[in-house]
Amino acid sequence: MLKDFITTLTSQIFSLMLIGFVSSSACFAEVKEKFIRETIASATVAATPDEQREIILTLKLKPTPEAVTWFEKWKSGEIFLHDDGAGVITPVVLTGTADGDDSFATAKLSDGTPCLSADGKVVRINPKTVDFAETDSGLRRAMKEVSDLVALADPDLTNRLRAIKESAIGQKIEKLPVLQLLRTKEKNAAAIRALDETIAIIQLRSTDPAERVAACRKLGEIQSLSAYDTVKTILAESKAKGDKPMVDAAGEALKSIDSHISRINAAGTAFRGLSLGSVLLVVAIGLAITFGLMGVINMAHGEFIAVGAYTTYVIQNFFANGLKLSPFGVSMSLPGLHLTHGADSYFIVALPASFLIAALVGVALERSVIQFLYKRPLESLLATWGISLVMQQILKFIFGSNNVQVSSPAWLSGSWTINDVQFVWNRVFVIGFAVVIIVITWLVLNKTSLGLLIRAVMQNRNMAACMGVRTERVNTMTFGFGCGLAGLAGAFLSQMANVGPSMGQLYIVDSFMTVVVGGVGNIMGTVISALGIGMSDQTFQQYLGNPVIGKILVLGAIILFLQWRPAGLFVTRSRSLD
Amino acid sequence: MIQESPMHQKPFLLAAEGLTRSFDGFKAINDLNFYLDEGELRTVIGPNGAGKTTFLDLITGRTKPDVGSLKWDDGKHDLLKMNEYEIYRLGIGRKFQTPTVYNDHTVTENLVLSLAGSRGIWHSLFGKITSQQKDRIAEILKIIKLSDSAYRKAGILAHGQKQWLEIGMLLAQEARLLLVDEPAAGMTDEETYRTGELLLSLAGKHTIIVIEHDMTFVRQISQGRKVTVLHQGHVLCEGPVDQVQSDERVIEVYLGRKSKAA
Amino acid sequence: MNKQPITSRVHLPILIATAIILLVVVPVLHRCGIISDFTLGNWGKYLCYGILAISIDLLWGYTGLLCLGQALFFTLGGYMMGMYLMRSIGGKAMPTFLSMRGFTEWPSFFLPFSSFPFAMLMMVVVPGLLALGFGFLAFRSRIKGVYFSILTQALTYGAALLFFRNEMLMGGNNGFTDFRTLLGFDLRDIGTKRSLYIATALLLIGVVALCKWLTGSRFGLIQRAIRDSENRVLFSGYATANYKLFVFVISAVIASFAGALFVPQVGIINPSEMDTSKSLEAVVWVALGGRGTIIGPVLGAISVNALKSWASSGATADFWPMILGGSFVLVVLFMPKGIVGLPAQIQGVLARLKKKKEEEEIPAISEKSPATDP
Repeated sequence: MLKDFITTLTSQIFSLMLIGFVSSSACFAEVKEKFIRETIASATVAATPDEQREIILTLKLKPTPEAVTWFEKWKSGEIFLHDDGAGVITPVVLTGTADGDDSFATAKLSDGTPCLSADGKVVRINPKTVDFAETDSGLRRAMKEVSDLVALADPDLTNRLRAIKESAIGQKIEKLPVLQLLRTKEKNAAAIRALDETIAIIQLRSTDPAERVAACRKLGEIQSLSAYDTVKTILAESKAKGDKPMVDAAGEALKSIDSHISRINAAGTAFRGLSLGSVLLVVAIGLAITFGLMGVINMAHGEFIAVGAYTTYVIQNFFANGLKLSPFGVSMSLPGLHLTHGADSYFIVALPASFLIAALVGVALERSVIQFLYKRPLESLLATWGISLVMQQILKFIFGSNNVQVSSPAWLSGSWTINDVQFVWNRVFVIGFAVVIIVITWLVLNKTSLGLLIRAVMQNRNMAACMGVRTERVNTMTFGFGCGLAGLAGAFLSQMANVGPSMGQLYIVDSFMTVVVGGVGNIMGTVISALGIGMSDQTFQQYLGNPVIGKILVLGAIILFLQWRPAGLFVTRSRSLD
Repeated sequence: MIQESPMHQKPFLLAAEGLTRSFDGFKAINDLNFYLDEGELRTVIGPNGAGKTTFLDLITGRTKPDVGSLKWDDGKHDLLKMNEYEIYRLGIGRKFQTPTVYNDHTVTENLVLSLAGSRGIWHSLFGKITSQQKDRIAEILKIIKLSDSAYRKAGILAHGQKQWLEIGMLLAQEARLLLVDEPAAGMTDEETYRTGELLLSLAGKHTIIVIEHDMTFVRQISQGRKVTVLHQGHVLCEGPVDQVQSDERVIEVYLGRKSKAA
Repeated sequence: MNKQPITSRVHLPILIATAIILLVVVPVLHRCGIISDFTLGNWGKYLCYGILAISIDLLWGYTGLLCLGQALFFTLGGYMMGMYLMRSIGGKAMPTFLSMRGFTEWPSFFLPFSSFPFAMLMMVVVPGLLALGFGFLAFRSRIKGVYFSILTQALTYGAALLFFRNEMLMGGNNGFTDFRTLLGFDLRDIGTKRSLYIATALLLIGVVALCKWLTGSRFGLIQRAIRDSENRVLFSGYATANYKLFVFVISAVIASFAGALFVPQVGIINPSEMDTSKSLEAVVWVALGGRGTIIGPVLGAISVNALKSWASSGATADFWPMILGGSFVLVVLFMPKGIVGLPAQIQGVLARLKKKKEEEEIPAISEKSPATDP
């Protein structure tokens, strides 16, 4: 009987609610608004806390967002109780601004009209001296019940989902009817799933054993992650009670959820591994050219990344408010375009710019130093290290030794969740960027005449020279291209990592490892090795739960890998001596 | 195809059977069978790319074959299971095609490094050079005519002198089998002749394989000894130099132009 | 054969004189107050760096192995000494890095370090074994040249990551510090400091002597042969991997001892010393001083560090990395043989200039003649 009654009641509530949300009739809204204000006003002045609570709970019939707004005002002490001296208490809110003696004009809570005193003047009160309406814990709970209902029917999917999930907390049986009703009306698949989940979680506490078992099965079937702990508790309890069917059902549900969790973890690890691999690839691809193809141990590779990142920083400021710098004590300022629209699009310009600037610095370096060291690889290592020190210091002089702010577009911070696996946008961006860079590099090397020259010179400098190739120019261009790619990597890293004068140092070991493992002189090898290292790093991290140990293991694995393939994944075999 | 006759009684010093080695699909050595007696001076000739140097690489362990067997000293040792220095220690020494000496070391030091004896670290630290060894070095210096340059750095020697120094290093090693890759390259006619004399004087005491292009030189040192012709990684024919030079197939692949010119 | 040519240009008397100056004159001058405590302390550090530089040169200059992990071995030696020094602080209180993690007793691996001989043994064993294991793997698979450099760099990087962790119980970020006594002597005492300096000078002289002997023996010949043409050495019957391994282990132990003496003199050891840039900096000393010589690396280490302590204070401080980096580039480009090779290089340049002048003079005359003829 009682259950039937509640069901009828709630269905009424619900239809009212639906009408409330769906209808956009202004008249209807006004009526509703008035009703809510009046109800709350009467609640504030009700005689006892119990009465207050009851009045508030009647709002469950009309759970609207406006009610929640008023609750918030009430709780934060914005509703004042004006006593006209004759024992009549009127709940009021403050309007307008404070005058000289800190008092405000007031409006009646019940209808929003100005609160007038006996002589027809607007009542002014000083909020510091007049009592405000207080709330106690029972009242706040009642308010919460109403707000929860409001949230459950929130038109915004994210809020609705959150409310549905939250209502599972505490497993309160009395919430079931509303949820079940909502379930019949809900259209959105995600919300339906969330409702099923929440209903089942609550039903785990049902008095009907069959319903409990069914709920448990359901949770196993939909592989609910949020029910995991609850089901575990139920399993322990049922074991203690000797409730055999429940133990079985809970056990199976747990197993099903467990397998789901391990699948999610595997997918998550693979995704993170792929994106880490892509980062490695992006930072190492320039080195695969300068070191892999040309044999120059460019220890300043990291600084070229920094040059790219700072170029992005400068372009960003150019699009916004300009930049003031004082390199070597000379003060310089860069005018800004003060763009308000499309300031985010600076990145489109920053990409080619960072490539060009880094490539130009690379060309200068090749002409001034590297060209004398092609025959002395170990010494190119030392000289370029010296250059990396100088470049870091120059960056410090120009931009200061602190990190600078490069803002990344807002859309990079979002994420996709597919089947409980989260795909963070910036990781997706990383992977996409890596693909683009690889395609560009491949096209340049294999489809352009420069690429043909590069490959010819790198395979046999002397022979190419004999065939009339201007090897010096090709060397310069190749080195510049490699450095430009490092600059691109810098633009890319500026979106997700700190930009500072020594940022390059973070990537230098990783970059070299990636190229060495891939096998010198083979871009494909670098791709595979970057992904391999990224994957194994994330896998170790997943199973050891510790990034540092994971990283050390990866280094160890690389050393062992080189035992097996000393020249890396892909070897260019030749018959020549040494 | 001339194969070793089954009647052969003496044990082979070196026996290669079915050796194949390919580089990215190109078969540098293709099903090669090669047998060598102790004390022989064998000359190996063949056009460019016939696999001569690769064959030496296989013997000395620089590369390993895809298939085949390579036995030393009547099958006592399997060369394929040994690395470079182990093979060297069996008494197989090699002079490389381009002279490979330690340029930064003096001529004497080059010979000291090649002296027969222990190759261990301990010995290198505490071992003394005996007066016998000193005599031996002086003797070798005389043979290779570098006594005057004993304390010069090897790097400043002339091309021919480097070749000789490398041969001297083989002598110091007291190798059983000398593998000599194009010893006459870059030498004057007179130097070439003297190199031939030197090799002839060593024949008998050592077993020698000489790889050479220069047919005058080949004629000088082979003197009726067996000559092996390699072609496309395979033994084309074997026999005395006259017989080989008149062989149709050899003329076709290699000597043809030369014999016409002659 | 008994007339072995003199390979090194530095003669024995000069070496002995230098040894006497370092070992006797400097301490006596310090005792008399002519050399300040600060200067003596600095020189103690420089000499430690000198030893480290020799260990690098033994690998790089003589054997052709550019190891970027020498800072690791240096630091490991320092940590071994640090463990001993921590144990000899005395008192019941645990150092913070242990008490912070709830330790009230020393972890068991710290216990034997209360014995100095054990600590010394570990200075040999720990870096030695690490070098042996890593070297075995690297040389067995014939990793050489640049690959060796990059792998040793990675090894150092990995070790630094490990030592930065507090779970290692090696002091984490902060490392070991606040040492009090060494073998019962107060470390703040001037006498102890002077003794430490003398010990460092002795070690340096010992290491120089050892390397002179090593490189002068047939072993040295093989070492340099490996540097110049490793394949040829293999074809001369030497197991080059073993030779390289031997040198690698020896130089690791030398670096370790340098680190062990460094720590009580500077009073702190932490993982930032393991940075690869420290290894590279030490390689700069060697390159600047002259690699492939015994005395060059020591000269390089002392001069760079003396310059550094002069330049990295005051107005020039900001420019120090630029000076270091820039001079490095210049040395690599224009002074391949370093300071030690400079006299010969200058002579060579002068000789060439002279020759060029002479050559120019001859055509100058022949040029004139056709001009005057018609």
